Amino acid sequence: MSPATILLLVVLAYPIFYTLRISFAELNLGTFEADTWVGWDNYLAVVENDRFWNSLKVTGTYLILALPLQMVLGFGIAFLINANWKGRGVVRALFIIPMVVAPVVAGGVWRMLLDPLWGLVNYLLGFFGLEPLDWLGNPSLAMMTLVIIDTWRWTPFVTLIATAALLSLPRDVFEAAQIDGANWWRIFWSITLPLLLPIIAATFIVRWLGAVKMFDIALAATNGGPGQATNVINLFIYEEAFRSLKFAESAAMAMIILVLTMVLTGIFLVGSRKLEERQ
Amino acid sequence: MGTVEIRNVRKSYGSHAVMHGVSVTIPDGEFVALVGPSGCGKSTLLRMIAGLEDITDGEIAIEGRVVNDVAPKDRDIAMVFQNYALYPHMSVRENMGFALKLRGMPKAQIEERVQVAAQILNLQSLLERKPRALSGGQRQRVAMGRAIVRDPTVFLFDEPLSNLDAKLRVQVRSELKQLHQRLGTTTVYVTHDQIEAMTLADRIVVMNSGQVEQIGPPLDLYDRPANLFVAAFIGSPPMNFIEGQANADGTGLHLANGTSLPLPTGAKAPSGRAVTLGIRPEHLDVAQTGWPATVLVIEPTGSETQINAQLGDIPLRILIRGRTDIRPGDTIHLDAPAKHVHLFDTHTGRRIESQFPGD
Repeated sequence: MSPATILLLVVLAYPIFYTLRISFAELNLGTFEADTWVGWDNYLAVVENDRFWNSLKVTGTYLILALPLQMVLGFGIAFLINANWKGRGVVRALFIIPMVVAPVVAGGVWRMLLDPLWGLVNYLLGFFGLEPLDWLGNPSLAMMTLVIIDTWRWTPFVTLIATAALLSLPRDVFEAAQIDGANWWRIFWSITLPLLLPIIAATFIVRWLGAVKMFDIALAATNGGPGQATNVINLFIYEEAFRSLKFAESAAMAMIILVLTMVLTGIFLVGSRKLEERQ
Repeated sequence: MGTVEIRNVRKSYGSHAVMHGVSVTIPDGEFVALVGPSGCGKSTLLRMIAGLEDITDGEIAIEGRVVNDVAPKDRDIAMVFQNYALYPHMSVRENMGFALKLRGMPKAQIEERVQVAAQILNLQSLLERKPRALSGGQRQRVAMGRAIVRDPTVFLFDEPLSNLDAKLRVQVRSELKQLHQRLGTTTVYVTHDQIEAMTLADRIVVMNSGQVEQIGPPLDLYDRPANLFVAAFIGSPPMNFIEGQANADGTGLHLANGTSLPLPTGAKAPSGRAVTLGIRPEHLDVAQTGWPATVLVIEPTGSETQINAQLGDIPLRILIRGRTDIRPGDTIHLDAPAKHVHLFDTHTGRRIESQFPGD
C-alpha cells in the first residue's frame, strides 16, 4: 500500500502541485524555483491572450469533428466485420497497425502522402481529374488533414472495442427479436444500439480523454500551422513554455485545461452512468 | 389450425451430418416434447421449426404451408428461450408488447392484450420493471407472456425450466400444463429431463444422435419402449438390464460370467439369441423365492425406498413402496411378474415382442 502511494505521489501529485505553484508565481529561470507570489496575474494574462482562446477553439473544432467521426466509423466498421466471413481475423490484425505506429512517424508519413507537389494523395486525385489540394497549407484543409490522420490512427481502436462489445451481446435476444418480427434495421435500432449504448459512452470517454491530449500528430504533420489553424491547446502550451519560455503562464493554462477537462469528463461519466442504469 | 409437419428433415454442418431424416407430424393443439441427451439434435430441430437454423434437406410445414424458406417472423410462431432472452433495456410491458408494436397494432389494443397475458401469468404488479429487477421465475413468466400475447399458431419452448431451482421447476411445470389446457395452442417443447417430458406432453419424441428413437404417448413409451435406448432413457430410477444368451427352451439366460439365470416364471426368450432383459426397479418384488441378491445400499425417501443390490456381478435397483427392515449385507430374493419383463435384441437394441402370454 504505502510504496504504491509514495510512487503515485511522486509521479502524479508532485508535478501537478509544482505546476499549480508556478501558475501563481514568477518562475526564476535560473533556479526553476517559484520566486514571487503574483496571485492571479498569470491567469489574467492567459485569459486576455487571444491566441489562447484561438487554441481552445481549434481544439474544440478538432474534437467536434474527430470524435463523432471516429465513433461512427469505429462502430460502423465493427458492425460490418462482425458478420462471419473468411479472412476476418486478418482484417482485424491489419486494423491494429495504425495504433502501434508511433504518432510522430504517422504524422511524418501522412505529411509525405499529403505533400502538395509530390504526395501520393494528390497524385491519386489527379486520376479523377481533380486539382491538387494544399492539404497542409490551406487553413481549413489543414484541420481536415489533422482530423483524417487522427481518425486513421484511432478508428481501429474504437473498432476493436466495438467488436468485442458486439460479440459479447447475448445471441438469443437477437433471435427473439427476429421471431418477434423485427427486420434488420429494427433490430439494429431497437436492440443493438440500446444494448451497446453504455459501451459507446465508455468508449467515447476513453477517446475523449485521448483526444484532449492531442499533441504529437499536430506537431509532426502541421506543427500548428498554417498560421494558427491547427494549433491545438497542448501544442500551444508546449510552445509557450519551451519556445517562449513563459513557464508561469503555461502553467496557468495547463491548470485551466486540467480543470476544464475534469469537469467535462465528470459530466460525461455521470451521463454514461445514467445510460447504464437505464438497463 | 396449428399443425406442424416435419418430413424427413436432415441437417449437416459442412460434411458433418447431425440429423439423419427426422419425421414427426404434430396435429393441432397437441403438446409434443422433444427429449434426449444433450447433442441429440432436439434443440436444432426446434430451431429449424423456428427458422433460426437452415434445413439442409427435407421439409417443415406449419399449417400446411412449407416454411423452409420463410423468415422466422413470418412463421407465426412464438418461442421461449432457455435463458429467456428478454430485452434487457425494455420494461416487462415493453418486452411483452414488442412483437405487437412491430406489427403496427394500435396502442390501446396492445395494452389490452398485455393486460390479459399479465393477468393469466400473475405479472400485473411487475409491468414497469426491467428484467434485471426480476427473479428467475418471474423472468420465465415474462418470457411466456411475451409468447402468449402474440397468440401464435405454435409455441416453441427450448428447455424453459432448466434455469429454475428444483422446487420452482415443479411449480412452473404445472402452470405450463394448465396454460396449455387453457389456450390449447400447439406446443413443441424441448427438454433433456424425461420427467418434464412425461408430465407435460401428450406425445413424446425421443431423439438420439440426430434420429428419432420412438414417438408416442408418455405411458406407451414407459410401458413398451421400442428399444434399449428408450428403455434406459425413460423412467427414473432407470430400468435394470441383464445381458445374456437365451437357453434352448427360452426360460433362462446364460450370463457372460458363466452362470445361468432363470427368467421370471412365465417369461420366455427366443432360444439361443443374445438378449438383454429389462426390468424397471418398481417391478422387482422382494419375495420368498427368486434371484438371490446381496443388498448394498438402502435409500429411503419416505413414501418409497430404493434398494441397490447385487445379483452376482450385476447391479440392480429395486424400488418398493413404503419402508423396509432390510439392511445392507442382507440377502434378498427377487421376482418379477412376466408381463413387466422387457426383452431386447442385444445386437440391434430392438424390443422383442409378444414373448409373454400375459403381456
